[in-house]
Amino acid sequence: MREPGQDRLGIALTGLSAVVLFVALGMAFLYAPREATMGDVQRIFYFHVASAWVGFFAFFVTFLAGVGYLARGERQWDILALSSVEIGLTFIAMTVVTGSLWARPVWGTYWTWEPRLTISAVQLLIYIAYGMLRAAIDGPRRKARFAAVYGIVAFVTVPLSWFAIRWWRTIHPDILTGGGGMAITSRMVHTLLVSLAAFTLLYASLLRQRVRLERATDALARLRARIETT
Amino acid sequence: MGFLRKVWAIVAKDVAAELHTREMVSAMLVFSVLSLLVFSFALDLRGAMARAVAPGVLWATVAFAGTLGLSRSFAREQQTGCIDGLLLAPVDRSVIFFGKSLGNLLFMAVVDVVLLPLFSAIFDVPLLRPGVLVVTALGTVGYAAVGTLLAAIAVNTRAREVMLPILLLPLAVPALIAAVQATGYLVEGGTLAEVGGWVRLLVAYDLIIVAVSMLTFGYVVEE
Amino acid sequence: MSNLLYLLCAYIVFWALTFVLVFSIWVRQRRLEREIAALQARLEEVGRGKGVASER
Repeated sequence: MREPGQDRLGIALTGLSAVVLFVALGMAFLYAPREATMGDVQRIFYFHVASAWVGFFAFFVTFLAGVGYLARGERQWDILALSSVEIGLTFIAMTVVTGSLWARPVWGTYWTWEPRLTISAVQLLIYIAYGMLRAAIDGPRRKARFAAVYGIVAFVTVPLSWFAIRWWRTIHPDILTGGGGMAITSRMVHTLLVSLAAFTLLYASLLRQRVRLERATDALARLRARIETT
Repeated sequence: MGFLRKVWAIVAKDVAAELHTREMVSAMLVFSVLSLLVFSFALDLRGAMARAVAPGVLWATVAFAGTLGLSRSFAREQQTGCIDGLLLAPVDRSVIFFGKSLGNLLFMAVVDVVLLPLFSAIFDVPLLRPGVLVVTALGTVGYAAVGTLLAAIAVNTRAREVMLPILLLPLAVPALIAAVQATGYLVEGGTLAEVGGWVRLLVAYDLIIVAVSMLTFGYVVEE
Repeated sequence: MSNLLYLLCAYIVFWALTFVLVFSIWVRQRRLEREIAALQARLEEVGRGKGVASER
């Protein structure tokens, strides 16, 4: 078996994401302006939205991987699905926690049912359900198949949930958070875009690492099987 | 044998089994009433507050009672070994899906039919309006469809029926929000046209969820 | 003043969660590589001991 040696692309990806991450961090604190009504606390926004985006994107990747698995039946699709879930779960958890930490100083409460936070909470619960489902099934093929089906059906409901929650909040705006209340400037937009790029690169880098880990786990299992048969 | 005849055969089998034992629907109904009791004590529901939360309590009850029936439906299949018989028969998997989900829809509809007048009386809200009936039907259809798919998955896990609510409830969010909002508006005197947005969302949800469930059901029951 | 504390906490959360994920993957990878190396060594021994190892 080939040595798990230098993963040039992986290292490059990790390095690049670290660099862009620091640039984004710098921009969030130094380049972006101080928001008019909320003050410096608003700077949470950039990484909060970026992690929300990646959380959803990771879910989309799981959806595609699920379709791929059902279509082809190859283990690599399942590896992609479970890896994306693990990373997506982390980012969505980040979204929910940072959203809560933003809500507290700005609106005086640790939780608000504003659309982005609510849809992130829903996605978080779906991710957790996905993980619990995988854990509750024996047999790799069945696990992969059921997980793929759940990933597909679950993802399809997310845009629908998003609309439902948006309309719900339009009709019954949160008395506390009201309409929004953030004065957006172009510098904020730049910072947000860089943050999105940084998080996407970070996701790609972590995904690659997780996929490699799973492949190594498979290799180990195959080795064990060989030993047992000799 | 035509598609519809095959589907009906499966529905008839489930209905016959249920009429014989009556365990599932009666459990769902008793649970619903108990759930109503718990909500009433928990929220101290009286007067205007009761009217305001009635749609929400109704749908929460329908959702939870639904999970009982849905998981029971497949648990029974497994126990009797019936699912293997169904799979051996030369029928398209979508036939089994439609048959099972129609059966589940029927049982949930029975519960709806009992709950709507009951809730109307207890909460003093006019739930028996045609608009509310339409919304209730749409919500129940989507819930039964995705519930059938997920129940088929859940029954094959180590945790069995316990898994179903965890899998199902996050996916039912669009339907729950739409149904509760629309019902709330309708009982205040709104017309179906005024809640058109919610109705369209429910219809979209139903169409999408039925299509996806039907397409993926085969992968769940294959061995 | 305490507003900035929330800001700080949020960024700490971000870094902490990222670090936890990276670390968890790294630790598992290390453990796996060690086990693979150990098993490979065993496999070679068994192969030497039995003569021709069964190739598939």
